[in-house]
Amino acid sequence: MSTIDAALPMPAPQGSFWSRESSLRAWLTTRDHKRIAILYALGISFYFFLGGAAATLIRLNLVEPTGALLTAENYNKAFTFHGVVMVWFFLIPSIPTTLGNFLLPLMIGARDVAFPRLNLASWYLYMVGGLFTVAALLAGGVDTGWTFYTPFSTMFSNTNVYLVVVGVFVTGFSTILTGVNFIVTIHTLRMPRMTWFRLPLFVWCMYAVSLVMVLATPVLAMTLALIALERLAHLGIFDPALGGDPLLFQHLFWFYSHPAVYIMILPAMGVVSEIIPCFVRRRIFGYRFMVYSILAITVVGFMVWGHHMFVAGQSMYASLLFSILSFVVAVPSAIKVFNWTATLRKGDISFEAPMLYALGFIGLFMLGGLTGLMLAAPALDIPLTDTYFVVAHFHYVMVGGSVMAYLGGIHYWWPKITGKLYSEGWARAAAILMFFGFNLTFFPQYILGYEGMPRRYHAYLPHFQVLNVLSSAGASVLALAYILPVGYLLWSLRTGNKAGDNPWQARGLEWQTSSPPPQENFLTAPTVREAYAYDEAAP
Amino acid sequence: MNASTETAFAPGAIVHEQYDDATQQREAATLGMWVFLSTEILFFGVLFASYTILRILHPQGFAVASRHTDMPLGTIETAVLLTSSSLIALAVRAVRLDQRRVAVWLMTGTAALGLSFLVMHGFEYYKEYTEHLIPGIDFLQPGPQSHAVELFFCLYYCITGFHSLHVAIGVVVIGVLATRVSRGTFGPQRYTYPELTALYWHLVDIIWIFVYPLLYLVGRSG
Amino acid sequence: MSAATRSSKSDRPVAPVSRYLWVLAALLTLLALTAGSALLKLGSLNTVLNLAISIAKTSLVMSIFMHSTEGRRLTFMVSLLGFVWLTILIVFALSDFTTRALVPAPW
Repeated sequence: MSTIDAALPMPAPQGSFWSRESSLRAWLTTRDHKRIAILYALGISFYFFLGGAAATLIRLNLVEPTGALLTAENYNKAFTFHGVVMVWFFLIPSIPTTLGNFLLPLMIGARDVAFPRLNLASWYLYMVGGLFTVAALLAGGVDTGWTFYTPFSTMFSNTNVYLVVVGVFVTGFSTILTGVNFIVTIHTLRMPRMTWFRLPLFVWCMYAVSLVMVLATPVLAMTLALIALERLAHLGIFDPALGGDPLLFQHLFWFYSHPAVYIMILPAMGVVSEIIPCFVRRRIFGYRFMVYSILAITVVGFMVWGHHMFVAGQSMYASLLFSILSFVVAVPSAIKVFNWTATLRKGDISFEAPMLYALGFIGLFMLGGLTGLMLAAPALDIPLTDTYFVVAHFHYVMVGGSVMAYLGGIHYWWPKITGKLYSEGWARAAAILMFFGFNLTFFPQYILGYEGMPRRYHAYLPHFQVLNVLSSAGASVLALAYILPVGYLLWSLRTGNKAGDNPWQARGLEWQTSSPPPQENFLTAPTVREAYAYDEAAP
Repeated sequence: MNASTETAFAPGAIVHEQYDDATQQREAATLGMWVFLSTEILFFGVLFASYTILRILHPQGFAVASRHTDMPLGTIETAVLLTSSSLIALAVRAVRLDQRRVAVWLMTGTAALGLSFLVMHGFEYYKEYTEHLIPGIDFLQPGPQSHAVELFFCLYYCITGFHSLHVAIGVVVIGVLATRVSRGTFGPQRYTYPELTALYWHLVDIIWIFVYPLLYLVGRSG
Repeated sequence: MSAATRSSKSDRPVAPVSRYLWVLAALLTLLALTAGSALLKLGSLNTVLNLAISIAKTSLVMSIFMHSTEGRRLTFMVSLLGFVWLTILIVFALSDFTTRALVPAPW
């Protein structure tokens, strides 16, 4: 019946959620959060490779200083497309809509999310939004950069700004509805004894990310609408000729887009917090501090956006305020890194693929975070703005951080979702290759930025070529490392060994049901204990 | 709590499998609706923030511009929305007390008032069109504050346009709701949808409560 | 029953009609007040008064019509969340616009 209660009778076993009603129509009208997660995973994967194709074009173009492969305008379209697709159609939805949708009800002992039909609607909105963006690409692309700065986007660009803006607007509502769903689910549907401070940190991260989604995305929606209105109907509040201010656009845009990066990193932190205790066989160090850090990042993350505008003409006083707060917001992230590291101490560490991804995350996120601190200081940011230093910084946190964690999570929960074990040898090789390829791609970019190479230029001064070639070579390694998992993971569906309920001997309610779970999630009520009870026997 | 109590006019709630009982389900739905309303506040909030900043930059221009709006009509529109809010609140109360006909009349009244708001506002737009106050397309305001006046009207159309869209959606939803209430779909045991619809309508009213002084009452004293 | 997730065992009691009508009367009075005061020359106090009256009207609508104070404390907090976050947006953005002339950037 309701939330899982040991006293109530449980439904009889009828196969996993995959096999119950397997027609296409059943999948496209499903209300099962697990199936919706799979539907999202298909979309996310498609957009990842689409954004990756744009990245390939960019890195191929940058092998030659003359940038002869793409014209300047086509290069602008390539990096715009890469940014728009990767940010809104891959990174922001990735972990919350796939792993989040699948695992959240399982981790709290619920039968589904609070609003299953709304969940399906979120997926449809995501797919429709994506279609608009693909349409914009086919119609000739957009050259404003993913940041749509005015007045270029509103008055001077003659590309399909309108189509992309509509696509992102629609997808924004997908995000908002997912956020609403998760918040209500976590407040309302936790099973008996699953109190707040027994929740896995992944659930706390889903809660925090939902808060950010719900509070930030509406601002983006209206800001995009204002771009469209200014282009179409000349309603120009950003128009300096009328006394409007282009910087007003930047304030509104970054009020969303800075918290958006926390939408990208918080779920990744959640995944890492699940993986590390499992492969160290210890409780997470400082659980409560981890929770407070998550909440602190969520709240303070809304008060730092002006650090994107130090050179844009923002007042020095505001820049000072935003800079100080940007230093403050680094503190909870640092606490989390200390706690993950402290968890390793005196632990029984094993290096399965998920753990390799999680460890890679800690190192790369730390480098990205430290360089973020450098950029938070206006004195350093002023020469480094719009150089490759910034590009390297955000790729370290978003790719070295979020994408590594996403892949780690996919590997960790693959047995649970599919009931199959992937090839550990191939997986470890891919993880190591990815770490190597990633650093080869992006570390040279720190040096390039420090030496003054500007971003968003299709050509560059000849003395930057060596580092650019290294970076592009790294990108090809990285591309291979991303393709490998597609191969061996899909192969495991055919030939992989059957996974038991709990192949990793992990704690957490999702491991107390079959792999894959039945549609009802649990056939017998799971046992709730303290989080990460690795010092006790498995239930 | 017996979730399936049914009488001819007071249908029981349908409790979905992830919920314990109808009350928990209703509380979840209400919480979800409030979270959604917060997103609407931030959605319109962008326009309020833009207004605040631009008015601080151009205080005299905004005063001149606001005097071009139709204050009597705007005041009547505000009164209309406030009244419609009270009607829909009473309508939900009537549903909970199983007073079906009263509820239907109250909801119809709410929708009618909403519609009248849209008509009055349409009339305002027409007046502004005849006075050449459409930025970018047909804007002719002499005087030193011309640019600031045009900025004000950009905001005016954005704010009232999005608000009117929300009013229109509300009128349709309330109309559909009234039909369902008249068919006996809702009652004391099952009133979540009427309650959520009312919450939406109240939010639309709250937005206008702030819009009214900011657009219609600037610089009215001379 | 689910964990610690329900603070009310039964539904909220139904209020009498009179309460709604008194609130409507109060709202319309406040409307008259805000419109009337706008015609008086009060300088910047005009705006302050108008906003204060708007906040009062909103509080009435939220607490009585929307029952935001009658349900769970959680719903009450959520009802304020949007306003608080909007305040963050406005205040921090204003920290830029109001101080530009004060402390101009050296470049």
